[in-house]
Amino acid sequence: MKKLVIATLLVLMAVSFGFGQTNVVVSEWRVPFLNSLTGSIAAIGEFLQWGANYAADEINAAGGIAGKPVKVVPVDTALDPQKGSVEMARVVKDSLVAMGPVPEPVIMAAMPIAVENQMVSITATTSYEYASQFFPWTVSWFPPTLDRLPPLVVAWAKQFGDMKQVVQFIEPYGPWPGMADAHSKALKSLNIKEQKAIEVPTDAVTFGPLVVRALDQNPDGVILVCNAEKAAKIIKELKSRGWSKMNHILVFSSADDAQLYSTGGMDLNGVQVYNYLNLDISNPRWDKFKAEFAKAHNGNMPFSLSPNYYDALYMIKEAIEKTGVTGDPKKLKEERKKIADYIANVKGFKGLLFDWDMKDGVPTNKPTYIFEIQNGKKQLVLEVKQ
Amino acid sequence: MPLSLYYYLSITAVNILMSWALYVPYRMTQLHFITIANMMISGYLAGYLVLHVHVPFVCALLIGFVVGGIIGYVVSLFIGDAPTFAVVIVGFTFIYITRTIVENLSIVGGTMGMFGLPNIGGNPVAHRWIILGILYGLVVLCGFLIYRFDHSSIGRAASAIFVDKELASSLGIDIKKLGMLVQTFSCTLAGGVGVLYGFIYKSFHLDFFGFALIGVYMTVLFVGGYSTQWGPLIAAPILYGVPLFFPPAVQSWRIVIYGVMLILVLVLKPEGFITRKSVYSIGLALSRKREKVIRS
Repeated sequence: MKKLVIATLLVLMAVSFGFGQTNVVVSEWRVPFLNSLTGSIAAIGEFLQWGANYAADEINAAGGIAGKPVKVVPVDTALDPQKGSVEMARVVKDSLVAMGPVPEPVIMAAMPIAVENQMVSITATTSYEYASQFFPWTVSWFPPTLDRLPPLVVAWAKQFGDMKQVVQFIEPYGPWPGMADAHSKALKSLNIKEQKAIEVPTDAVTFGPLVVRALDQNPDGVILVCNAEKAAKIIKELKSRGWSKMNHILVFSSADDAQLYSTGGMDLNGVQVYNYLNLDISNPRWDKFKAEFAKAHNGNMPFSLSPNYYDALYMIKEAIEKTGVTGDPKKLKEERKKIADYIANVKGFKGLLFDWDMKDGVPTNKPTYIFEIQNGKKQLVLEVKQ
Repeated sequence: MPLSLYYYLSITAVNILMSWALYVPYRMTQLHFITIANMMISGYLAGYLVLHVHVPFVCALLIGFVVGGIIGYVVSLFIGDAPTFAVVIVGFTFIYITRTIVENLSIVGGTMGMFGLPNIGGNPVAHRWIILGILYGLVVLCGFLIYRFDHSSIGRAASAIFVDKELASSLGIDIKKLGMLVQTFSCTLAGGVGVLYGFIYKSFHLDFFGFALIGVYMTVLFVGGYSTQWGPLIAAPILYGVPLFFPPAVQSWRIVIYGVMLILVLVLKPEGFITRKSVYSIGLALSRKREKVIRS
């Protein structure tokens, strides 16, 4: 009798345990991450990869995805569209979901392959204007540029009543001229005169002539839409030519990375910058992330975009768990669609820094911030809501 | 056909054709990098025509070839007999000018690029077969034309120019005319290949036509061998394909491996792996074997 009771209990336990789990058929979730780990943006690729790997470690320590461990598989596209397309063609063969590619040229070459094969690949570092071309097989990490940037520039400009004329330095790369257009829209709405923009050549090495041309127009404010190193060098040139209103310089989010600070040094003091990443926010996950990131990156705090693929992996986790995806190769098409549908309209997603919602693949309520740089550190000036 | 194989084969064909587009003018010492600008111009033009003017793909492709040829011809009127360095400078300048024009042309997507090129043949599978068919048809056609060129009197004239321009001139070779011929041919080829390149990816972005491409084609040409058309033909699939099978840890060293390989080849085998001598030896060996078979 005793044996029968024990056996019945064991059977009940086994059955109830079985009901508590989805029928996951994989022993490990493998998520390929098409990233530029070599080539000219390898430094950025490294910290994007670090964020994804860190998320995987954290998820695995907490029991994995639906009870199974997750592995982020690095796939180096080397900033090469040729390589990116072949790698994506390999990935779509049997992967449930992927992350990347990075950056825009590889996205344009490789994402049509993901779309054709109806597999989600989360492009968490590009602008809405690129991501939206591949909906519903990716989501945008940012709202449309013309919606999100004007309020930021308006908030920046409103701080300074004396600002009547602004000049933009624009590097013609990918979505950046479009971002400059969004800045122009904001300036126009405030009746601030926008002077003739200064084009920053992609291969520029000296910035004196560009700065002289800008200063000839007597601007009261400057917006920098170029990469981090160039932005820092332009700021140094401006300062060396007598520019003193440092907070009247605004650096756009894509230039907010390590090279800005390492090249600009103390000359950046007072300069303002806008971004999604707020190091001042405190919550246990983010605090731990910051500490671990600093440990792995010579004491540096997370750079712009660092948490993007951390959040992307958590979004994949949530999609798998909430939709009962099993990883069964026979259901690949159906389960890929489930993930796409889920992440396009996820509500209350618990990101590393804040919670947000998605509507049709576009985030609706992510906060943005304006900071002032002092001694190599950013100090929060304003939070700007869309 | 596995999708990754399609991309491998199609990009390999592009690399072969574009290396040949460099090979032909280099037969008379001209490194004609304007071909990269031609790819860009014809590619964007064809993309625009197909997307916005709804021109059939075949017509757009032909227009791509023609535009490439016209640009090549017009430029060759000025640099048909120019020395290597001048041709290189013109090529780089053209790439810069073309990039700047495309960056500022919103009708072709400007810096954002051009999205959503349609499937030729109505569906992805047909698209892939058509692209592969055209590309390898071109490889065969161009391979034949270049073979004929290499074995003709004008090919020998090009070889004479490669060795000594003055001597070739004194032999009565019209250097400018020959330069115009090879430059126009290579630009025509590059124009058409540029169209196909974009239709492989179904999009265009300025960085598809960056200076990195020059590095790729130069490596294919010089490692494979610049003195015969077989060099690029054999080097392109190997140089592009082998790294794809490297384990991830080795992949990070890909560029270093390329660099070391290029240095070693330039030092140890300056003419590249496939030389005229090796082609001649292989041909001789094959003909002896054939003779033996016939005798037995």
